[in-house]
Amino acid sequence: MPTINEKISEEIRAQAKKLLAEGTVAAVIGYASGSLPMTVKPLVVRRPEDCGKLLWNTFCVLNLANFLPEVLKSVEPPRGPRDPKPEGPLPKVAIMATGCWSRNIVVQIQEHQVERERVVVMGVGSRGMVSRRKVEALFAGREILAVEELDHDLIVRGSGFEEKINRWSVVRDNCQTCTHPDPLLVDVRIGEPVSDRKNPNPFKQVDELEAKSAAERWGWFTSEFATCIRCYACRNACPLCYCPTCFVDDAKPQWVGKSLDATDTGLFHVMRAYHCAGRCTDCGACESVCPMGINMRLLTKKLNKDVLNLYGIEAGMQPDSPLPLTTYKINDPQKFIVTEAGAGKEGE
Amino acid sequence: MPKGSVLVVGGGISGVQAALDLANSGFLVHLVERTTAIGGKMSQLDKTFPTNDCSACILSPKLVECGRHLNINLLTLSDLVSLEGEPGNFKAVVRQRPRYVDPTKCIACGLCAEKCPKKVTNDFNMGIGKRKAAYLSYPQAVPLKYALDPAHCIWINKPGRCGVCAKECPAGAINFDDTARDHVLEVGSVVLAPGFSRFNPTPLDFTGYGRLPNVVTTMEFERFLSPSGPCMGHLERPSDGKEPKKIAWLQCVGSRDINRAGHPYCSSICCMFALKQAVIAKEHSHGDFEPSIFYMDMRTHGKGFENYYTRAREEGVHFHRARVHSIIPSPDNQGNLKIRYVNEQGKVNFEEFDMVVLSTGLEPYRHTIELASMLGLELDADNFVRTDSFNPVATSRPGIYVCGAASEPKDIPQSVVEASAAAAEASRILAPVRWTETSKKVYPAEQNIYAQAPRIGVFVCHCGINIASVVDVAAVSAYAGTLPDVVFSQANLFTCSQDTINQMISIIKEQDLNRVVVASCSPRTHEPLFQETLRDAGLNKFLFEMANIRDQDSWVHQREPEKATTKAKDLVRMAVARVRGEGALPYNTVAVTKAALVIGGGVSGMTSALAFAEQGYPVTLIEQSDMLGGNGRKVFRNWKGVEFLPFINDLTARVASHPHITVKYNTEIKEASGSVGKFSTTFSDGRTFEHGVTVMAVGGEPYKPEGQWRFLHGVNPNVHTLLELDKKFIDDDPTLKNIKQAVFIHCVGSRIAERPYCSRVCCTHAIDSAVKLKEMNPDMDVFMLYRDVRTYGQRERIYQEARAKGVVFIRYDLERLPQVSEKEGRLIIKCHDPIIDAHVVIQPDMLVLATAIQPRRQSSTSLAKFFKCAIDSQGFLMEAHMKLRPVDFATEGVFLAGLCHYPKSMEESIAQAKAAAARASIILAHDAVPAESVTAVVTAAKCTGCGLCTEVCAYNAVSLDDNGISVVNTSMCKGCGACVAGCRSDAVTLKNIGNEQIMATVDAAFE
Amino acid sequence: MTSKTNETSQTNWEPKIIAFLCNWCSYAGADLAGVSRFQYPPNIRIVRVPCSGRVSENMILSALKSGADGILVSGCHPGDCHYISGNYFARRRFALLGNLLDFIGIEPGRVNFSWVSAAEGEQFAEVVRTVTEKVKELGPATRLVKKIEAMQAA
Repeated sequence: MPTINEKISEEIRAQAKKLLAEGTVAAVIGYASGSLPMTVKPLVVRRPEDCGKLLWNTFCVLNLANFLPEVLKSVEPPRGPRDPKPEGPLPKVAIMATGCWSRNIVVQIQEHQVERERVVVMGVGSRGMVSRRKVEALFAGREILAVEELDHDLIVRGSGFEEKINRWSVVRDNCQTCTHPDPLLVDVRIGEPVSDRKNPNPFKQVDELEAKSAAERWGWFTSEFATCIRCYACRNACPLCYCPTCFVDDAKPQWVGKSLDATDTGLFHVMRAYHCAGRCTDCGACESVCPMGINMRLLTKKLNKDVLNLYGIEAGMQPDSPLPLTTYKINDPQKFIVTEAGAGKEGE
Repeated sequence: MPKGSVLVVGGGISGVQAALDLANSGFLVHLVERTTAIGGKMSQLDKTFPTNDCSACILSPKLVECGRHLNINLLTLSDLVSLEGEPGNFKAVVRQRPRYVDPTKCIACGLCAEKCPKKVTNDFNMGIGKRKAAYLSYPQAVPLKYALDPAHCIWINKPGRCGVCAKECPAGAINFDDTARDHVLEVGSVVLAPGFSRFNPTPLDFTGYGRLPNVVTTMEFERFLSPSGPCMGHLERPSDGKEPKKIAWLQCVGSRDINRAGHPYCSSICCMFALKQAVIAKEHSHGDFEPSIFYMDMRTHGKGFENYYTRAREEGVHFHRARVHSIIPSPDNQGNLKIRYVNEQGKVNFEEFDMVVLSTGLEPYRHTIELASMLGLELDADNFVRTDSFNPVATSRPGIYVCGAASEPKDIPQSVVEASAAAAEASRILAPVRWTETSKKVYPAEQNIYAQAPRIGVFVCHCGINIASVVDVAAVSAYAGTLPDVVFSQANLFTCSQDTINQMISIIKEQDLNRVVVASCSPRTHEPLFQETLRDAGLNKFLFEMANIRDQDSWVHQREPEKATTKAKDLVRMAVARVRGEGALPYNTVAVTKAALVIGGGVSGMTSALAFAEQGYPVTLIEQSDMLGGNGRKVFRNWKGVEFLPFINDLTARVASHPHITVKYNTEIKEASGSVGKFSTTFSDGRTFEHGVTVMAVGGEPYKPEGQWRFLHGVNPNVHTLLELDKKFIDDDPTLKNIKQAVFIHCVGSRIAERPYCSRVCCTHAIDSAVKLKEMNPDMDVFMLYRDVRTYGQRERIYQEARAKGVVFIRYDLERLPQVSEKEGRLIIKCHDPIIDAHVVIQPDMLVLATAIQPRRQSSTSLAKFFKCAIDSQGFLMEAHMKLRPVDFATEGVFLAGLCHYPKSMEESIAQAKAAAARASIILAHDAVPAESVTAVVTAAKCTGCGLCTEVCAYNAVSLDDNGISVVNTSMCKGCGACVAGCRSDAVTLKNIGNEQIMATVDAAFE
Repeated sequence: MTSKTNETSQTNWEPKIIAFLCNWCSYAGADLAGVSRFQYPPNIRIVRVPCSGRVSENMILSALKSGADGILVSGCHPGDCHYISGNYFARRRFALLGNLLDFIGIEPGRVNFSWVSAAEGEQFAEVVRTVTEKVKELGPATRLVKKIEAMQAA
């Protein structure tokens, strides 16, 4: 009997083939199998006959929305940067999307990076993606040659061993605390909807750190980011980071030095996180791609918590809702203003 | 056709303001000044109340503007000798006395004065110290040209005897053969601003003035306090140069005194003047200092004055409500003085002081009286120029207007208001000939500095001792010279004085500077002046920065000179870093919509509306009720006995029927957008009106007595407010005659913690009402329960009349309020009379409450938001500057008048309303006004097109183009930078306030 | 290049506090403090900006990096913004930034936000006194400060 994800994969291939064949879309963004165990690679399919390469499994940690603007551009007729837009509708692109990715597509629509009418969202309810790092940690020192996915377990094989582990126990933290696993924007439904998980506290990790002293938090911050090698994989994997020139590459003024100095590295991460304020959907791509295993996601999670608590906003929930930093309420909380009565830390 | 020029007589602050308003609204102005320089009394002041602003600092920019104005023909040493003709076409003869120094040649080097052997009493310093017969009246004088004093110059009196100045003058400017010249000027209107003289206390023997060296007048003391005065701002007493530790101020010397001085009126300003001097002297003194003020009533009736009074008390100024009998030398003959005085209870006391300052009153100049007689103008009983109750700047001769203290003693803001009002009146019939006699300013071509390396000049200001007494200015200037790209640095006594400004122009040219830093006061007040200087030197005005080393350094770190000096160096370094990255910006303009919106249909609003309409500008006047007239309809008469209703009916009729005025009743504002020159306002009926200027005249309202101030109002039918009594007067209520006893309680709701201001007009109003009752029934007993009687200016007459008619005045304190009760409907009032120190019980038929005037907080607040105006803690609208911009808001193009600004009399409201119209007309007279140059600009290559900038822009100035790239509409951008801060990709920047410049400034703080 | 020198060892250490003040309210309030001669500690270095809405997180972080021992950002009271809404947007940005800095362990009191109007001279002086006192208690800033040695090496 096929697993849930095998059925989903089948459905994806069929739908993608149909959309391409009837000319509804010019390309489909999905996944193909990777070269290493527990890896997949993003794949853009442009011909019906290539749809067989598409697949869906529990290792799809990259956020496909990250590729959407570029693929949309690629299917447009070529033109110079100052040339006017061609007349008539432009070709569409289909994309797989889980809860968080679909919300990223919404943010892209809100931020004019993507036109809603050019996207066909093939919505897949997420059952949580597995953290390769977590699995490897379980098999510390032993080389994993293959991992087979069942509905609730993983079978891990290496030279001379084969073990079955519970899948949920190795699902990424962001997926475990996810409250919106099912896509919010769906044009073509793939598989069964996944109901919202009632997570008692999605911000548990943030709360734990907040409870510590300033010195302890500073200790966490410095040690967590000490290993950063400034490879910018986190930035590159993020669908929110689409500036032509990133602030780290700005020369006038140079906000952040390019060295591995702790201050420069720290500032890079603080600024990057801040740029995601109110836009981040906690897809976890940044953390998943980090070669050093840095938990930079905690910074954006903290911002998500504040944006929700202070302004009642979660990123990408509705295409027509404002982004938290482009709107305000006259009575927004302002306890942090030192001249206000009862001044103190905001959100307490 | 009328003439498009105006003659302004008098170069004090009133004359200067009138001249600037007229010249800036399209008329050629001939400004006639009697002395060698303009500036008047204000230039002699050290500080001004209630903000303690340095007088020279706030005045100087105006004088410099006047001196440099293309359309102001400044005639110093001149007098108006004859005037013929009619309004619109006068022929004036102005006689200019010889200066003996050719102003076109004089370079103000001062060698003539240095070498002149003849020492003369220094009249600018009130006779303290000496100047030379070749002289400059004061360092910031405009024009900055020396003169020879013909009364004392040796050569002029005995030709051939001296002539040192002519030998020494490097410019060959001395001309002993200079003669008087007559200028025949054809003008359309005449504005008189001849100012005031001070009462000479010499005949008042009890003061010892003239005999006892340590008895001085307030003007003399002002010069002692002034850093440019004879003691360089150090507190020294005349007899021995010792620092006085105990000083007494004697109020009302030559005011409110018919017997000894012949001046029945109150001089209006002396209470605040003395308070200010007491506070400032305390600041100047080292260690213990005990100021005392001997007074009759403390008259702090202006905006911000009562708070100043309170603060003075808290800071240890002693107040004696007492009459001074005599001042005698202390027996030890060491210069100290003994004051013998009688306190309120009639007890004689003595107290010894180191020095006594006489608060001498104001009086008209003798030559003003002569001028008035030559012009055929009526004077009042006090020899002030007579004006009309409803046109407070009009003299008895049509076409001639008067402003300032020549018509009644008044303070600087009121004088400035009248100056603008006089400008409005003077230009009313001349509106059709605007711009017919003026010339246009042409700036030198701006040098293109684009490819040049920065060459920065730094000018560090002493500001007299304002900066230099705390900050080591020489060290800061020397340090500035060591900074990278700084090729020139210099310290100046007053950087804003005309000579320094002129010098700066030459230095910019000689040193080939392409960026300038001035380290002095606040850019909020002085940046425009220096930017103009850059333009005159052929530099784009945006290549400029200021380091605020006074308001934000020397004044706030007075006890830490070393750290203040370090900070000054930091601030200069930061300003240099900031200016280094600045570039030339375009001078943008906005086309002016030549129409005015006036909000409020009371007397102020109607007056403003008419002033606009009579100049031909369309006006929309909105009124929230269904009737014009406002509070004015509720008041019976003024203290001169002139009833208001006929005037208001006439004004209402004129407004309602004027073809240029659209009155909208029952209307409020729903939305307003735009800025100076181009506002768009939507009313409650949904209609939108485009206008170039806005006048807010939303009025005030009476305080409704409550709590301990209720005094049975609304409970007992015989308790009324002043306005309720006025209603009875207006209705000619016959029952008033039958009243046997009436009591008035003053200050109901004023001068208390919740409303810490004086409502200004209620004393006069109440006393006049008492007089009216006495007129109706001379046998009526009338009691006034008061705290201080504040019948300022000539209103003092009504107080004297009331007392002469037998009205009884009983003073009360906040600690012992009058107690009002009733028994079987009969009022019982218990109070304490401090003179006999006993309780008094009165059972009057009527109790009248002089209630406070308060702002209409709600409408003021919502309007202030629409037009971005500031509101003070009491809810009154806040003018741009208390002293010199009393009808302007900091927001350009918006003006204010009437009670929404502060409680005031109807004539004061009228003056303010006319002034607001005059100030606004400066904008309407132009086809375009300068628009923001500091605007946002997008680097397309960095733009992601996310649209955040378009969302945060409050002016809809940013949009996404067809390619999804952000573009800024420069004409709509106000330069706030919200888009810049919001942009993640640094694609938007603000010209000259980019991240680069700001961070360079910040980084420079740590070098 | 800029940075703080090794001031920590000095006993007479005086903090440097950068204040970004909006031109229309807080800068005017600072001027009013001067006009009124309200005295306050001389540690503050004021940078005039058009509006509190002009102040970005990068400016604040960069000032910390450059060695500011304290930072004050001050604008018009809500509703009073000369540019209508700049301070409302700023309020959200500052609230989030302040919390984030707190989260990573920047000492409370290093980075401060206030509203001071043009009429609040004494309030301005008081804010400066409070902020300066607090920063003095905290001692020289080290967190997110770029050390001079590191910069030379970079």
